[in-house]
Amino acid sequence: MSTDSLTAGKASRRKSSHAAKPGPQSPENAPRRRKGLSERNRPLWMLIPGGLLMVIIIVVPLLLGIFMSGLDLDQYSLRKWVSAPFIGVQNFVEALTASPLLHAIWLSVSYSLLAMVVTIPLGIAGAVATQNAFKGRAVIRSIFLIPYVLPSFVVATVWRTMFQPGSVIDSALHSVGIDPGLWLNGPQSFWTLILVQIWASWPFVYLLALSGLQSVDHEVHEASALDGALWWNKLRYVVFPYLKGPLALAFLIGMLHHINNFTLPFVLFGVPAPSDVELLPILTYVTSFQSFRFGLSAAMAFISLILIAIPLFVYLRAVKLDDSETPGGKK
Amino acid sequence: MKFASSAKFAAVALTAALALTACGGGNSSSGGSAGPVDGKGKKLSVLTGVNAQYSAQQKQWFTDIAAKFKAQTGADVEFETFASANDELTRIQTSVVSGQGPDVYSLGTTFTPTAYATKAFVTLSDDDWKKLGGKDKFNQAALGISGPDAQHQAGIPFVSRPFVMAYNKDILAAAGIDKPASSWDELAAQAKKMTNPTTGTFGLATGYKDNFDPWKFIWAMSVQAGNPLVDGKTLKLDDPTVKKAYDTYFGWLTKDKVVDPASIGWSNSNAVAAFASGKAGYLLMTTSSSLPTLEKSAVAGKYAYATMPTTAPGQTSPQGDAANAASILSGDNVVVADYSKQKDLAFAYINLITSKDEQLNFQKIFGDLPANAEALKSLDNPALKPVADTAAKSKATPFTGAWGDIQLALLNVVVQSIPDLSKGSVDDSSLQARLKDAQTKGQASLDRASK
Repeated sequence: MSTDSLTAGKASRRKSSHAAKPGPQSPENAPRRRKGLSERNRPLWMLIPGGLLMVIIIVVPLLLGIFMSGLDLDQYSLRKWVSAPFIGVQNFVEALTASPLLHAIWLSVSYSLLAMVVTIPLGIAGAVATQNAFKGRAVIRSIFLIPYVLPSFVVATVWRTMFQPGSVIDSALHSVGIDPGLWLNGPQSFWTLILVQIWASWPFVYLLALSGLQSVDHEVHEASALDGALWWNKLRYVVFPYLKGPLALAFLIGMLHHINNFTLPFVLFGVPAPSDVELLPILTYVTSFQSFRFGLSAAMAFISLILIAIPLFVYLRAVKLDDSETPGGKK
Repeated sequence: MKFASSAKFAAVALTAALALTACGGGNSSSGGSAGPVDGKGKKLSVLTGVNAQYSAQQKQWFTDIAAKFKAQTGADVEFETFASANDELTRIQTSVVSGQGPDVYSLGTTFTPTAYATKAFVTLSDDDWKKLGGKDKFNQAALGISGPDAQHQAGIPFVSRPFVMAYNKDILAAAGIDKPASSWDELAAQAKKMTNPTTGTFGLATGYKDNFDPWKFIWAMSVQAGNPLVDGKTLKLDDPTVKKAYDTYFGWLTKDKVVDPASIGWSNSNAVAAFASGKAGYLLMTTSSSLPTLEKSAVAGKYAYATMPTTAPGQTSPQGDAANAASILSGDNVVVADYSKQKDLAFAYINLITSKDEQLNFQKIFGDLPANAEALKSLDNPALKPVADTAAKSKATPFTGAWGDIQLALLNVVVQSIPDLSKGSVDDSSLQARLKDAQTKGQASLDRASK
């Protein structure tokens, strides 16, 4: 969510500086007002509503959360929560030493990474396969997007039903002589989660890869054809460089999304979660809303924020680099 | 473009914020100084659980009760519903922190200790009880989970929903069993007689993946063996009785093989469905609210309710107070928010819904047993007799703010054991390890509660 608003903010800022340039010609600018202000500064006041909202919706809760992480806040002190005892970094110490937080971080990061590693080739393959026009392409492209438009809750509910012991997936595998074991609990549940995540999120990579492919100039295709490049060489040396930017973005956004994904594991496995899929958001949720350790859970959330801030930082850097180039620029 | 949309968003958000403030203002200004029953122009806000099974009836009940309340006091009632316990919890947390929200809440019994611990609800004085028609009006057993002791009670019993078992008379008769089991050992033995994998019939139907049922079994068997689980400031999950309870509960699947192997993925509703299709001898851990489902199913007319066993595993007769621990004390309590500015009106409302007539009416529509003593006595449906008996033989779960965590720890032992269950045996040492973990976590929570 925060990434969205940040890009939105960036985009609007970019737009405003564009808008500033043709300023003198635009009719709504009264000549008297134009004089007193520098052209660069003029539209900034329009950011106030958005900025105010961001402060209320993002900054204030963030600061409150950080404040809470220093409190011994639970169901007994909730009613007068501001005066809950301040215990400094004890919540952080407990989160790191006496809770499954590190295990949860390890699970979250590894699951996100594994899902990403599979979805990227899938997305590229999907995009390449629907790049050239053929009959029914529009239909195929629409079908590809179905997992992406379905609400996470629906996806998880349907998969959970299919993965129940003795349900369709089990009986299908039994009919070919495989005993798959348990899907929704035990060590295999980790792979179940990755499988469902891949199914749900590969269209996102596909979309970004497709946008990358669209930006390859027609002349480039012709030139490589004239040079006699075969399909693999063409893909490897001509097309892929175009995809680097969009795919890097897909990777980072996807990672953030997976690490933050609560609905999917919550609906698939329920709480208390099997220890093999006790991911970071689930752990934070249970600590907060089942055990009522709000302070401890705020500390966990803060630690996960730092964790997420690392790819976010890389992402923002990437966007900045793209800023000076044309979109989809080859770097 | 971005600007336009964010400006629009800002406008919408501002309007919403203004609307919210307006609502808040309306709420607080309505707290006048009028007498207890004159509620003209006031509005009482009530938060209650949504009844998915009878949603149309529930809406009708809301309308009816609001009309009656208006006739009595002149005030309006506004009902809000929550879909799940988590929803309710979030709502309570918000209200507790902000000091505004519904005036009256409906709470599940096991959640009452947690809610009590927040101190956000009115602990009833003798005067308050008088406004409700006196404490004697209620089924005394139902008051067992209203507060930590008789002097400090916040929960006003509204309905009882004791846990019983249902049995298929045909299947029991076919196996030569003349009456339902009264001990857990006998239950397993009977279940073995009824199980026939070739026809897909199993002795017991229960869901190992349910979010609540598993800990209720462990609680019942442990308490019946003399272990109250919480003894003062000590948690006793590392007691042999608890281990024995888990062994029995898992044993139905691994040793006795009297439950459907698929039940490791079942919740309670799956178990009800299995019993309703005539594939199980006993449906364990159910309430009278399964009655409408069963009446419309293949087992209609062939089933009956019975009290669950009260003799702990390995014993031959109920020890100590075991006979009175047939079920957790279950149902709904209503509480009045401490921040409410119209408490008298709230009490008037609760007085209305706990009156004999309203309680009987509620029972007729929704199947839940009355908490009103007179109403409970006047029930004459023979099918409900065992359920009403169980209501009197129910025992409260420990009244501590840590109970939520203890319950979660008990449940977690089952969740983490499911892979073992699916393989057919739960390793003794890993069960011990899980119990130790549950003990540590639960004890830590109990320590916080008694701080």
